[in-house]
Amino acid sequence: MSMNNSKKVSLAATIVAASAETTEAFKSDRVQKLISKIRDDSAEVRTEAWLSASEAGAEAVKPLAEVMTEKKLEVARAAKRAIWKIVRHAGRPGADNEKRAVVGELVELLGDEQPVPVRREVLWMLSEIGTRRSIKPIAALLSNKELREDARMVLQRIPSKGALAALKAGLEAAPEDFKLNIAQSLRQRGEKVSGYPCVKLVPTKKTTVKPL
Amino acid sequence: MKRTNQLNRREFLAAAGAAVSVPYLIPSGVMATPSRGGANERLTMAHIGVGGMGGYHLSDMIERRDRGEVNIAAVCDVDEKRLANAVKTAGPGVDAYRDYRYILERKDIDAVVISTPDHWHGVQMVHSAECDKHVYVEKPACCTIEEGKAMVAAAKKNKVSVQVGSQGRSQPEAYLAHRYLVNGNIGHISRVDCFHYPSPEDNNPVPDSDPPPELDWDLWLGPLRWRPYNRRYCHGTFRWLLESGGGQIRDRGAHVMSCAMWWMGADGTGPVTIEATGTPPKQGLWDSAVLMEVTYIFKNPDWMLTWTQMPNEKLPPAEERTGEEPGGKIVRPGYGAIYRGDKGEFIHWGGDGGTWAEKKAREWEPPAGAKDVYKSPGHKEDWFEGIKTGKKTIMNIEAAVGVANLCILGNLSYILGRKLEWDQAKQEIVGDEQARRMMSRPQRHPYHL
Repeated sequence: MSMNNSKKVSLAATIVAASAETTEAFKSDRVQKLISKIRDDSAEVRTEAWLSASEAGAEAVKPLAEVMTEKKLEVARAAKRAIWKIVRHAGRPGADNEKRAVVGELVELLGDEQPVPVRREVLWMLSEIGTRRSIKPIAALLSNKELREDARMVLQRIPSKGALAALKAGLEAAPEDFKLNIAQSLRQRGEKVSGYPCVKLVPTKKTTVKPL
Repeated sequence: MKRTNQLNRREFLAAAGAAVSVPYLIPSGVMATPSRGGANERLTMAHIGVGGMGGYHLSDMIERRDRGEVNIAAVCDVDEKRLANAVKTAGPGVDAYRDYRYILERKDIDAVVISTPDHWHGVQMVHSAECDKHVYVEKPACCTIEEGKAMVAAAKKNKVSVQVGSQGRSQPEAYLAHRYLVNGNIGHISRVDCFHYPSPEDNNPVPDSDPPPELDWDLWLGPLRWRPYNRRYCHGTFRWLLESGGGQIRDRGAHVMSCAMWWMGADGTGPVTIEATGTPPKQGLWDSAVLMEVTYIFKNPDWMLTWTQMPNEKLPPAEERTGEEPGGKIVRPGYGAIYRGDKGEFIHWGGDGGTWAEKKAREWEPPAGAKDVYKSPGHKEDWFEGIKTGKKTIMNIEAAVGVANLCILGNLSYILGRKLEWDQAKQEIVGDEQARRMMSRPQRHPYHL
């Protein structure tokens, strides 16, 4: 490599690095602006913000999830709607990289450190765009009493062999009081399940109202 | 079995006012088995969901019972206050249930009227059919594409008669409009524009809370994913949430677009593309579009259907009336449709229990040789006839699912922010993995299809 070429490569690398920094800074700035608007007192500003959230993409998912836990009802709601907007945009045909990035962020929100309402919402987001990468963390929630029913339904919805295998493994591991639920998901996925019959037509709830 | 004061078949049909002017084609395999429920017997009914429209249906059925046409064996509601009121209204001899599955266990009950929130329609209709009950189920038929498929399959497999509560098809002026249009009075129709006033915004949002003691919240939610109770998401207001009622497009679209599909001869067909835009509410739990525009493109034959929720000031003005018209005065002018043909236009208002056709259709005198169309004897009468004879009802489950699918696809396109392609033959969305997943929604155990 000649000196000139070497200089050119070095210059190019510097430009790329600077450009990446600028892009990151731009993205970070965009997310901060979004969060600021989501927290605004004006319903119009909040609405405009969550409607435009898809542009912020995967980087905005975790910061928005934090806002979802805020006490101000409408601010938390706007944050939730903003993430949904990102999910719906990332799921469009031909946007696989974007989708993968969003899924990656969502999966990281399934941990025990997150409040149950956030994790429940994230589960349902993954039901729409979840990929192979999301199966294991979702399946892990089949043993969480508060989230297992949502996790079961989400696995049922994700049309992959991995999700099906997770449900089968879940049936083996589940406590007796949850096996019927998973068996139902397996039936919905076209599997034959023995030992855990469908109980959908079995009435269970009695009224206190008496006939005249 | 509670079958007293038996009517013979002729008496039943007379009581049901079952005059049929022109039969329409009934595809094989979709008819209810003739005479199930007892051609010579009085039908025994049960009502699932007795508030709102359910209260209307119960009162209507009580009148029929008092005329000796039917028995009422049971009422059911997840709200004990509503249930107690229904028991009082229905009188002695009517059993009360919180869980509709007790009703389905009873062999003496021939038919059920389902007037629960929309997210229950699919599951309860399918379960009822599986338990050999004929079904009248409120509109919209279903909340997801897969629910609709299951409903059609259950009705067909169990050979029960199903009537869906898009009763606009059975209104006297609906008949006049239909007859006017099929006789080419406005020429070839290439476009139908449905109009509606906006969906409401929740101006009084409140935090989640404990449900009132009279309400079984778990059973109210039924198939839906669990969420805490909220006063703004319950009786009546469920309409404004996408996961349940779906907003005006699903609530009233199931009426106005039902008329369009019926009058355009488009039952059994579907659009090839659906594209929606809309304006969401600025606050509150309700999330259905306030303003909305949806365009459905149909091919072979080619026509366009649109649904627009617009500001009130943009709605077409209602026709002046004396009240002497078949449908009386227009009391709900805020929705309807404009039919655009190559020789003129036609407008109707309403599309549900009130369906009002423009004067020129009402006053049109059919010349010799004009085509006639089916004239419903009444929405419930048409259902009773379906039960007794096996004839296809005017708002049969296939047609109703077709209309509900339009509403569902419109909302899906709005939610996703993109145009959708639909394969009518396969009943599925094409080329969009996320949208395809959203054709179904897993349901909570054990409240599932």
